[in-house]
Amino acid sequence: MTLTRLVLKNLTCRRGRFIFTLLGITIGIASVVSFLSLGGSLKSEIRRESAALGANLVVTPKGSCAYEQVSILTGEQLPTTITADEVARVQEIDGLTALPFLAERTAIRNRPVGVMGILPAETLRFKGWQVTRGDYFPDTEAAGAVLGAIVADQFDLAPGGEVTIRGERLPILGVLKETGGKDDLTIFVALTTAQRLYNQGDRVSYLAVRVADIDQVDAYAEKIKEAVSLGVVSDKQMLKSVLSIVGTVNITLQLIAAVAVLAAAFGIINTMLTATYERKREIGILLALGARRRTIFTLFLLESAIYGVLGGLAGAVTGLLFSTLAAPHITQNAFTAFVSGSGAVGPASVGVILGAVVFSAVIAMLAGVYPAWRAARLAPVEAISYE
Amino acid sequence: MNDMIRTDNLSRTYGSGAVATHALRGANLAIPKGSFTCIVGPSGHGKSTLLHLVGGLDRPTTGTVHIGGVELTSLDSSALARLRGSKIGFVFQFFNLLRTLTASENIATAMMLAGVPARQQAERARELLERVGLAEKAGARPGELSGGQQQRVAIARALANDPDLLLPDEPTGNLDSEAEAGIIALLHDLHRRGKTVVVVTHNHEIAQQAERIITVRDGRIAA
Repeated sequence: MTLTRLVLKNLTCRRGRFIFTLLGITIGIASVVSFLSLGGSLKSEIRRESAALGANLVVTPKGSCAYEQVSILTGEQLPTTITADEVARVQEIDGLTALPFLAERTAIRNRPVGVMGILPAETLRFKGWQVTRGDYFPDTEAAGAVLGAIVADQFDLAPGGEVTIRGERLPILGVLKETGGKDDLTIFVALTTAQRLYNQGDRVSYLAVRVADIDQVDAYAEKIKEAVSLGVVSDKQMLKSVLSIVGTVNITLQLIAAVAVLAAAFGIINTMLTATYERKREIGILLALGARRRTIFTLFLLESAIYGVLGGLAGAVTGLLFSTLAAPHITQNAFTAFVSGSGAVGPASVGVILGAVVFSAVIAMLAGVYPAWRAARLAPVEAISYE
Repeated sequence: MNDMIRTDNLSRTYGSGAVATHALRGANLAIPKGSFTCIVGPSGHGKSTLLHLVGGLDRPTTGTVHIGGVELTSLDSSALARLRGSKIGFVFQFFNLLRTLTASENIATAMMLAGVPARQQAERARELLERVGLAEKAGARPGELSGGQQQRVAIARALANDPDLLLPDEPTGNLDSEAEAGIIALLHDLHRRGKTVVVVTHNHEIAQQAERIITVRDGRIAA
């Protein structure tokens, strides 16, 4: 017989309570792990998208706020558009390259997928894409689609096949090399094709602008604002405002997770306190057999710690499973669009599991201190006489 | 110094002021090593209180207790616990076995608390179960044993660390007469093997066979 064995016997003989208390801490830790991994990937993904955008300035429809800025980074549809006339006036300004994009959505096998209307040749240069399979758009008006690497993989699409957008079957021309960004999740079509399919006339969603002299970015922004009545943000501003939204989302998620963990901790306190009452006689027996107060304290703390370690393990695994499996299936929005791009469960998750187990064990032991202290300070004769 | 137990002016009061209950008042006792002593008296008159004080489960309000020459009141709780584990074997009316553990594990737990290595525990538990005639019940949980069998396991557990002093508190109070006879015989056997036995009982049979009888009435030791 060892102390650990005694504790395990106690736990397994009260299965119902064991399972429900364990479930509490599992849920708490699972929510921390999934929220942290969702939130964490969100931030890194935004930074990467911002870099992949390759623009110094972004011209957005008038009145666009942070929401639209998020949408540009995620490839969401924008509620308002920019007219061809406005596009032309921006492009007339000396010393900058302005590329129009029309962001739309379609569905393949009921899964939402982004569709982006682009100027083929210019965008290829702008983004520095490489084509791994098939060909790129032969000309500006070419009918057909070029797919991001993940879209091709996910839906088993290849050059020579077809993809249906808004009821029209488009031949698949080629597949792009994986970029690691949201371009991998997007179907690209010629701008004119996208405008026709989505009845947008000659309108576009936004303009990505690259300036010749990076030190003059602010001056260019002013020039654009003089030329057209549109919103202009620099990539840095955009990143900052998007990150601030993400930060708020993250803090909210972390608060929810903290509440879940706190509830679980109180669950453990409650279970262990009840145990000190229920097992008063057992404590008395152990004291009569020569157990020291320290031993009783250790016994109860160990029991809490086991809840913590097992709950941490179960919670970390559940949380990781949830964030990798479930997240992409949640209705696409600015939040999950980022998440779905980075479903990597690699060596990092070993660290997450370890961290969660340690965190959970520490929380559980902290929760166990008071009940253990109460159990340890019982007077032997009072405990042994307890009916 | 041939006394196993000596108490001087031992008192125990619960509560204070108007609600104070004097469970034991100035008990002076000397119980020789290797003796078989019965503590008798009406219920609620302080027998168990005396036994708890002697066994180091409770601390006196005034007075002192010596066990094998060691003065208990001067010991801290940790030293007192060690003494309970090594020198004293308790047996209770309601057996007080840990119900989540098997007979063998109950005995092993007492050894674990005294620091006996796990490997030696099982072997000694088997010997002790054999001694009380329950070798075949090593793997049974208390719920699977009769009252008499449970009390035998409890006695085996009390012997786990080979204590000099056995303190059974109403050991047959919850048993039928057949089981009772077995337990009485077992206690006498242990006495013959050199243990000092101090048993609290209402049982006349046990009392008649004792070498010494101490009567506790109204918290005092009657002559």
